[in-house]
Amino acid sequence: MEAGSEKTKQLLITLLPVLALAVLFILFCTFVKAKGYRLDIYLKTIFNQGVVLAVVATGAIFIYTLGSFDISLGAATLFAATVGVLTYNATENFPLMILAIFGTAVACSLFSSILASAFHIPAFVTTVAMLSVLSAVSAQIITTKGGALGGIGIPKTLVKPLDNPPFKITLLAIFFLVCFFVFQLTKIGRRQKFIGGNPVCARLTGIPYNKYAIIAFTMAGIGVGLGAFLTLVYTPSVTTTTASGIGMNIFVAIVFGGMPISGGARSRIHAALIGGFSYILLNNILELALEGSSAYGITQIVSAVFFLAVVCVTSMNYRTDLLPR
Amino acid sequence: MKEPILQLKHICKQFGSVIALQDVSMDVYPGEIRGLIGENGSGKSTISSIAAGMQKANSGEMNFKGQPWKPVSMIDALDHGVGMIVQESGTIAGISVAENIFLGELDAFRGKAGIINRGEMNRQADRAMQAIGVSHVKGAMPLASLDFQTRKLVEIAKVNMKHPDILVIDETSTALSHDGREIMYDLMRKYAEEGHAVIFISHDLDEIMEVCDTLTVLRDGILIRTFSKEEFDEDEIRTSMIGRELQGDYYRSDTCASRQEEEALIGEHLCLGEELKDVSITLHKGEIVGVGGLSSCGMHTLGKVLFGAVRPETGSVHTPDGREIRNEETAIAEGIGYVSKDRDIESLCLSASIRDNIAIAGMDKYALGGFLITSGQEKKYVNRQVKELSIKCASAQQLTSQLSGGNKQKVVFGKWIGCGSEILLLDCPTRGVDIGVKQAMYQLMIGLKKEGKSILLISEEMSELIGMSDRIMVMKDGKVTKELERSTELTDAVMIRYMI
Repeated sequence: MEAGSEKTKQLLITLLPVLALAVLFILFCTFVKAKGYRLDIYLKTIFNQGVVLAVVATGAIFIYTLGSFDISLGAATLFAATVGVLTYNATENFPLMILAIFGTAVACSLFSSILASAFHIPAFVTTVAMLSVLSAVSAQIITTKGGALGGIGIPKTLVKPLDNPPFKITLLAIFFLVCFFVFQLTKIGRRQKFIGGNPVCARLTGIPYNKYAIIAFTMAGIGVGLGAFLTLVYTPSVTTTTASGIGMNIFVAIVFGGMPISGGARSRIHAALIGGFSYILLNNILELALEGSSAYGITQIVSAVFFLAVVCVTSMNYRTDLLPR
Repeated sequence: MKEPILQLKHICKQFGSVIALQDVSMDVYPGEIRGLIGENGSGKSTISSIAAGMQKANSGEMNFKGQPWKPVSMIDALDHGVGMIVQESGTIAGISVAENIFLGELDAFRGKAGIINRGEMNRQADRAMQAIGVSHVKGAMPLASLDFQTRKLVEIAKVNMKHPDILVIDETSTALSHDGREIMYDLMRKYAEEGHAVIFISHDLDEIMEVCDTLTVLRDGILIRTFSKEEFDEDEIRTSMIGRELQGDYYRSDTCASRQEEEALIGEHLCLGEELKDVSITLHKGEIVGVGGLSSCGMHTLGKVLFGAVRPETGSVHTPDGREIRNEETAIAEGIGYVSKDRDIESLCLSASIRDNIAIAGMDKYALGGFLITSGQEKKYVNRQVKELSIKCASAQQLTSQLSGGNKQKVVFGKWIGCGSEILLLDCPTRGVDIGVKQAMYQLMIGLKKEGKSILLISEEMSELIGMSDRIMVMKDGKVTKELERSTELTDAVMIRYMI
């Protein structure tokens, strides 16, 4: 009886993020309808915001699994998009633009991890420095080339054919499946989870942290590149505020998706997907519910409270009774 | 007739589907040193931790000094007179000795300006350490600079400072050297003389029979019997513990050293500060080499150096054909496995399942194409280890943190044996392990020796070294003081001569 109820509890906790996503979706639709807005337009907005967050978060899961985090992902997305725009404007070569976006994104990510490895400091410390550097460099380029408000951009006609859900879903699905494969079905994912669970034991089991940190940051870099590309597809211009909140949003989104903040064995790749869309839905619901000048501040506070509640509930999954030795 | 100071009545405790305690009732009297003994998972730590406020019982009641006893936490229990020294690390590495001792009580040192008087706190911590006879550990020292045994002494000092009416010591002696144990025994006797009570948990039957007045045996969560001092009988206690007579050999039955000619691992002129001073060692195939000495003699460091986890300042570790062991990766590639003394920190990922822990070192063995993990292959690989090592668990998906000490150690063994390690470096492999599991591990080591595998057995238990090793290297102050060949003449006394 006890075992049965324990299993039910565990199952409920595991399913909670999915249930929360479903509830948020229903709530969102209800709010939009109640306000008399067009649901199809709002759903398109949710999809476009969610797909970028989900893609970047999926790559970032590899970093979070190690028990580390990268606050510079938003800045790296902005920087990669900026470099992409500059490349296209200089060459008018679309494939080269894509290459530049991915190259820049992976290079930024790798730079953080290599810097951390070279100076023996935690990777998140270098990502804090990268956040400042990348934001400043991007802002400088954007304001110099196009102005802070208007920003810089590529011709809308260039990416218009790609700005449709099937293309974006396909990209997200391919990237998610690749990440799922690496994370769940190869030694890489297993070892990264082990490092996150106990880095000391992982080292004494012959798992080199630096190697797996570099792989994690590379995967995150690919996610950032994809995110930057999808951002440009949606809005073919880049301003200083593009992707500005992604770094922090990913953190919240992953937790919403049911991933422990400490990473480790209970890390789940689907947390990025579920959490990414949940977070965007929640934000939009709050904005709809709290329209007005103080809406932004209240939205942030409500988000924070919601975040703490989710952490508390999801941590029940791994904060279990221990048998004393 | 004295009134009991602590009464436990019909205590039941369940962890999910695991029944840890079934209707356990027990009285502890003032002036008594009560031993608790039983196999891993028998419930002895659970019952004492319930009394010490670490967790709550599902049912049953407790009385302490005649009053209902419902501690809400360990701190609450300690404040009211029940203190416990836990089996694993109960200290925090990132802060000082004094901060550990006065954890949760720093406000007592806060001045009018709100600033903590660290000088006074350190002085009081020094006094707390001196009170248990340890003067070389100072309050200002960072805890991280102390070894495992000294950290245990800090824990003892911390609990002793509160002078509890009941002192619970959970399987602490295996973490302590000879001197550390003496400190602990003196403290226990002092408590008993002063009319306090001590609940002492240990797997060492000799030790528990020596220091305890009464002995309660638990098995599978049930209180089997309480022995008074005059009823102490080693065989009877053992039979009560495991529910059957211990069959077969405990240590090796052969009395002569044996090994293959072929060398397996060579450490030459290893030096590392004060811990290793020109230590050379050669491990042969099919050989068990014991390394013994006082806890601080350098033997634990030697294990880490041979595994490549610590680089020596001079000297090298290499295979017979000259491939150097530069780090853990190269060591594992050469078929070396390392079982650390600090099991929970260095050998296991407690938040992961048994499956994750066993599988992690052996992926190369079952991964398709060297990288693709299939659930079926992995399950097969893990279940074989679980079965062969008789790991007591609900399933391989169970978290390792939920296992008893002995079963945790079996998981560590499974991790290294499963991946086919040819050389095993075992640092105190039977620490905190009950007699039944110990026997199983010794038989496993004998089997591995027969298969031609090499074992380095680092141990603080002389009987274990004498019983299992082909030869024993005795260490003192970082040097090998004597190498003793296996023989019937070899006794503890001979070893002690070179250890101290």
